[in-house]
Amino acid sequence: MRDENLDNWEAQIRKGWLDVAILATLWQGRLYGLEIIRELETRSDLVVAEGTVYPVLTRLRREGLIEGKWEESESGHPRRYYKLTSAGRSRAQALARHSHQFLSKIDALIQPLLKGQTS
Amino acid sequence: MNAHTRQPEEQVESYLAKLRKELDGLPAEDIEDVLRELRGHIAERSAAIDSERNSTPVEQVLRQLGAPEEIGSLYRADAMVARARAGFSPALIIGTTLRWATKTALGFVAFLAGVLGYALGASLILCGILKPFFPAYIGLWINPNGVVLGAEMPRPHARELLGWWITPYGIGVGLAFILGTTVLLRWMLRFAPRASRRVALPT
Repeated sequence: MRDENLDNWEAQIRKGWLDVAILATLWQGRLYGLEIIRELETRSDLVVAEGTVYPVLTRLRREGLIEGKWEESESGHPRRYYKLTSAGRSRAQALARHSHQFLSKIDALIQPLLKGQTS
Repeated sequence: MNAHTRQPEEQVESYLAKLRKELDGLPAEDIEDVLRELRGHIAERSAAIDSERNSTPVEQVLRQLGAPEEIGSLYRADAMVARARAGFSPALIIGTTLRWATKTALGFVAFLAGVLGYALGASLILCGILKPFFPAYIGLWINPNGVVLGAEMPRPHARELLGWWITPYGIGVGLAFILGTTVLLRWMLRFAPRASRRVALPT
């Protein structure tokens, strides 16, 4: 059963992590929008409405963290491939370090609760 | 005609037409880019998907994308913040700050500072402009109670400080206030929340 407070909390978490998750998917190389969405869907629970990823890509592009390039594809529809700029790479790394530190502390903090649940 | 009897192409076109309407006001080139990108997404997604019972692949794909109204509002909100940050139009800047003010305390402080700054700037300029028309009533006076600026009934013990100089000073300092407020708000808008981080939960 879902309660409304939990839903709100989860929505807040999602919106906070979407930027860093998108930058992380681009770390290995360039991807187009649907590939980014597929990555996020298989490797995270961040994407609920797929269409909300595209405005974030536009904003990251505007902030100079990623750049997009249109290319023709065999599917018959042009694709816009995104890749990290050098500013984007350093921002992604900084965000990753912060996230890791932050999450380890939270994880240590909630460990007793998880143990309580299983015992 | 209901959604189930329409052709997939029609559904896609009607979805994109709604989105186009929502994007109204953005640069034409950006709108075409958004639509081209989503059209590709829909086509490729639908080709790959196994259809559920009672709905076509296109219907599923459009449902997973989310409402055009929501996607459009995310694009618009970000574009508005970006334009206000890049531009010097007080109307746009104060409008964006007002939207922000309804969301967080910092936004409210920024809006208050903006209104005060612009109002002070505008009244200084107004004093400068009105002085030649109402010389006796407009000025910067010093009297036993302190310093008074603006429009006032002349008092016997008050001494006017600036005289006609209030016109160039008023206009100059007023413009400086307006410019200063603009620069301050543009800087503060960096801390405005990014609307596109909002991701809807399943319904």
